[in-house]
Amino acid sequence: MIETMCTYSGRDDLLIAYLYDDIEPADRVTFSAHLAACGRCSRELADLRGVRTTLSVWTPPEPALSHEPRATSPERAATSAERRATGRSWHDVPAWAQVAAAILVLGVSIGIANIDVRHDSAGWTVRTGWWNAPATLTSGSAASEVRPAAQPSVAAGSPAPWRADLAALERQLRTEFHAVPARAVPVAGGISDAELQRRVDAVLEEWERRQQRELALRVAEVLKDVNAQRQADLVKIDRSLGFIQSSTYGEQMKQREVVNYLLKVSQKQ
Amino acid sequence: MTWSDEELVTRSIGGDADSFNQLVLRWERPIYALAYRVIGREEDARDVCQETFLRAFRALNGFRGQAKFSSWLYRIALNLCRDWVRRERRTPIVQASEEIDLMEMAAVREPSASIEDLVARKELTRIVERAMARLPEEQRTAIILKEYHELTFQEIADLVGCPLSTVKTRLYQGLAVLRRELAKSEFKSES
Repeated sequence: MIETMCTYSGRDDLLIAYLYDDIEPADRVTFSAHLAACGRCSRELADLRGVRTTLSVWTPPEPALSHEPRATSPERAATSAERRATGRSWHDVPAWAQVAAAILVLGVSIGIANIDVRHDSAGWTVRTGWWNAPATLTSGSAASEVRPAAQPSVAAGSPAPWRADLAALERQLRTEFHAVPARAVPVAGGISDAELQRRVDAVLEEWERRQQRELALRVAEVLKDVNAQRQADLVKIDRSLGFIQSSTYGEQMKQREVVNYLLKVSQKQ
Repeated sequence: MTWSDEELVTRSIGGDADSFNQLVLRWERPIYALAYRVIGREEDARDVCQETFLRAFRALNGFRGQAKFSSWLYRIALNLCRDWVRRERRTPIVQASEEIDLMEMAAVREPSASIEDLVARKELTRIVERAMARLPEEQRTAIILKEYHELTFQEIADLVGCPLSTVKTRLYQGLAVLRRELAKSEFKSES
């Protein structure tokens, strides 16, 4: 088959412009008319449309941009680029090294937090922070540092642990006591003496009640500690007695065996 | 509220890092796709994509808005791709595997797609990649920008710095080569 030549002016450019529909309207009209009459151009146009259809299947692989998905800030992108340049990332670190690092961090954190775990007669106790230090008990803000009565007492082994607490409580009460008249002063000008007296009495009563309550709590706490210590001592004594008894019994049996042996030997002779 | 690219650029210049993040999110896939089709290597295309945004961020103050932000980005990406091709001194490499993993395809296919369709599609993709790799760089770039990024002839001309008619000529010649290459591949596969 003989392919006829097409001599349409600017044919190739117009064909491409028509193909992509990026063409001036006037040119479109005239070229459309040409296509209807030119077999070569219409066939080529159909072929190029086929090429375009084939090209549409070419899709890039799903970008692994999601490995820094939300990492699209320039700073993060820079970090990522540097990481790729050095060829290292967190994922490159072996699992055992990650576990070791985690344990190290945990240990350091516990050390910094000053965690104190104890098991005594009151059960398991976990404490954090540095409040155990003596300095906290002598600081000015004693009110916030006095532990609740329900908490177990100070670490075992310190002599009379409740003394420090009682001292702190006393300081707290003294502070509050001194604070009461200071707060009452501005009010005094506007009320009668009887009313002032009544309020002072009420404050004193309240203070006394609180003192008694605190004292009762402290006494109960001390008694509890004493009882716990007593129980522990009794258990220790009981164990010691049992040990002495068993060892004494053992000694008796040995002596009895020795005596029996001597008797047997003497009878033979 | 959806900001235009130019508004986001203005906000970024004003110190709003989130605005630049939005620009990245909006354009990272097109830029990656452009780089992948020009370079043909996934890993390098990712690097080019990232480098494009880094350079854009650093040069943001110099962006005067004379061109569209996307055109500006495309220009940076194309320059980086060109550098890559020159540095590597090689034509794009078809990365598609010769072996077709049917199990993998079965796992990722859509419910409506048969394995036969997927195999045919993958084979066709490989043929297209090979045909595109045979094109001269100018023709390949023109086809990529027109076919996959839907830029106008004028935008392509501005981007690559050549007359409008040259863009059309490159497109016509490139498509003609592809037509022959694809026809040969079809003939081969049929025989």
